[in-house]
Amino acid sequence: MPRILPTVLKNLFRGPATIKYPRERVEPPERFRGKPVVDKEMCISCGLCVRACPNDAISLDENTKKPRIWLARCIFCGRCAEVCPRKAIKMTKEFELAFYDKSKAVSE
Amino acid sequence: MTFVLPIGPQHPALKEPEHFRVEVKGEEVVDVDVRLGYVHRGIERELARRSFARGLFLSQRVCGICTTHHGLCYCQAVEQLAGVEVPERAEYARTIMAELERIQSHLLWTGVAAHEIGFDTLFMLLWRDRELVMDLRELISGNRVHPSMETLGGVRWDIRPEHELKVERSLKKLEAEVKRYIDLFTSDRTILARCEGVGVLRRQDALELCAVGPTARGSGVPFDVRRDDPYAAYGELEFEVVTEEGQDVLARALVRLREIMESIEIIREAIEAMPKGALRARFPPEVPDGEAVARVEAPRGELLYYVMARGGDKPERVRIRTPTYANLASLKPMLVGSTIADVPIVLASIDPCFSCTDRITVVDVETGASKVVSKLELRRRTS
Amino acid sequence: MNSLDFLFAYFVFPGLLFAGVVGLLLGGIDRKLTGRMQNRVGPPIWQEFLDVGKLFSKEDITPSAAQGLIFTAAPLVALGSIVAIFLLLPVNSPRPALSSVADLIVIIYLLNIPAICAMLGGYSSACPFGVVGSGRYIAQLLGYELVFILAVLAAALRVGSLSVADVVAYQAGKGWLALQPRLLPAAVAAILAAQGKVLRVPFDIPEAETEIVHGPLTEYSGPKLALFRIAYDIEVFAVAALIVALFFGGPVAHTLDGIYVPGVVSFLIKCFALVLLTTCVRNICARLRIDQALKFFWTFAALLAFISLVSVL
Repeated sequence: MPRILPTVLKNLFRGPATIKYPRERVEPPERFRGKPVVDKEMCISCGLCVRACPNDAISLDENTKKPRIWLARCIFCGRCAEVCPRKAIKMTKEFELAFYDKSKAVSE
Repeated sequence: MTFVLPIGPQHPALKEPEHFRVEVKGEEVVDVDVRLGYVHRGIERELARRSFARGLFLSQRVCGICTTHHGLCYCQAVEQLAGVEVPERAEYARTIMAELERIQSHLLWTGVAAHEIGFDTLFMLLWRDRELVMDLRELISGNRVHPSMETLGGVRWDIRPEHELKVERSLKKLEAEVKRYIDLFTSDRTILARCEGVGVLRRQDALELCAVGPTARGSGVPFDVRRDDPYAAYGELEFEVVTEEGQDVLARALVRLREIMESIEIIREAIEAMPKGALRARFPPEVPDGEAVARVEAPRGELLYYVMARGGDKPERVRIRTPTYANLASLKPMLVGSTIADVPIVLASIDPCFSCTDRITVVDVETGASKVVSKLELRRRTS
Repeated sequence: MNSLDFLFAYFVFPGLLFAGVVGLLLGGIDRKLTGRMQNRVGPPIWQEFLDVGKLFSKEDITPSAAQGLIFTAAPLVALGSIVAIFLLLPVNSPRPALSSVADLIVIIYLLNIPAICAMLGGYSSACPFGVVGSGRYIAQLLGYELVFILAVLAAALRVGSLSVADVVAYQAGKGWLALQPRLLPAAVAAILAAQGKVLRVPFDIPEAETEIVHGPLTEYSGPKLALFRIAYDIEVFAVAALIVALFFGGPVAHTLDGIYVPGVVSFLIKCFALVLLTTCVRNICARLRIDQALKFFWTFAALLAFISLVSVL
């Protein structure tokens, strides 16, 4: 008798293990590395985040001298948030980041 | 009359593109030829153009399933060059992440193997259980794939007591399920029919062809870098090296399933014994000249990184020898003599990760590729 | 039977429309149940309709190296023959829409035509996977067909007639043939052979997706693949219908509390139960190799059918 039969029959009467996203949503854990967001007030324009980024996704804006993160290049590793001396960059929990226009895929 | 069945580059049996030229007579496989290079991305060249800190992120992306082990091996090699000693707590944290990755990789493999033999139910159930481990990785590091926990000098985040509680809860659930899967694999008649006696790799062949990882341990060869050359916290932890004597696909599957049980024990031990302390040591911006070799036991076998530094903040050369490359040669004795129906499951039984493997094509063009090119392409070009 | 009645029977009930709708619905229910058994949501039960509709909207391609005529004709003949079977099966009443003298033999032959069309399609498609798949299909056909014919013969011998209408009428009086101890092994053998006939795990070897892409149907796409899909789904229904008619009483009209329930309802319920059984089996096994499948059919299953055959002689 196949041993998997009771499991399979039990599964018929249990609900599916699927979380029916996007109707049901699950809150990501605290350390989740989503979109990095810059707090412009805290930023001191030191440029450490620009140097730390492994993929050159951050540049300092010419006029405001605050970091702009190009999300199409960002690998969401969290190095920018790690090295910032004022903790001005935070990795938020936002992950639904699909864009129709690449020029809008910026976090600043 | 032999007939050539092309397995790849696009084939439902392969998760990544590779080309296996299988010559068959009826249903029996007579000869096998491998052609690699479809996933060649030039990573070793790129690693030589990036600083050590940036290169870490690239080395993690060599493979999505064994990402922590690639990052860990790179870190160990560079830390050796710089003479940096990693604090104890970080070593234990690295061990826990590495073992979580091993569990996740083996569950993935077992699901894929079940799919190869047509057992889709088992595939779905195994990947459902794999989600438990992925959620743990997300909890501790913030990302399910590419947790990026290791960094030059230590780890980036701490494993806190509330994480440890959740880890223990998931491990308990996982333990019960994996016990059931081991039971299934040893008793279900259809699984035994497809896996027992199939893809036999004799102990002698495994030794001569330098097989590594579960491929070798399934043929009774007890090579395990965690035991032979301890790294991270493995020197202080007690665990068994799982071997099987069956030499067939079933033995390799059981090695992997039993290794999941061992990994669960290792994680429990590591959480228990983890000392308090710093999470990272200071890492100098420039690394002195030298060469370093680091080895880790990736889920697929022995992974080796060779790093050469000649001044500056970038490596001069990084060479990655992945376990799948070492295991490819063992495919030939496994496949010749079996039937077409066995080809996918035998290919899957070495747990091939071609993303990891394809950095060797540049070197092979002189020696290996000339064999392939002259037999096929030249004949076609000159006829 | 005049031509208008024939056209109605062939195209509407119990022919193309009825068999197509029920067959595709059963296919969708199978996928939904498979999903639930695997602890996931599963597609909606009308997914097969959506898939077939999408395929019809695609471009019709024939590979240039393929034998065009056979390649195109195969799905049409397969669909045509499987629909014709429903004219010979008792669907609403013990008498089928068309009855001739020895229609059990015609049914067995007609049931094999979709298989042969798939094989021809595979061979004519000039694709290595098609060739291997067709070869495996022939081997598997030799396996299950023997068992199926023995089981069906046992039922026919018990009743003493090769006409399906007679078998159903006999069961109306004496109860289901499957409940008679002499014929229970034949019923079991027929169900096992049916699993091979409809190419479900553990016997979906000719179409093993992870080994030979899609077997004989690899090069098929668009409307031709849609026709083959419909033919396959109707085949599941047809095989279930035949086994229900021979062993489980066939269509029986009831009168519950004064409400007349036509025979087709009980027929559909029994067919559905049989298809549920194949779904269950398909989710608890791995795929066998062709030599293991043949061994299974020629030893265990054939033995069961043989026992029944001998005991009714």
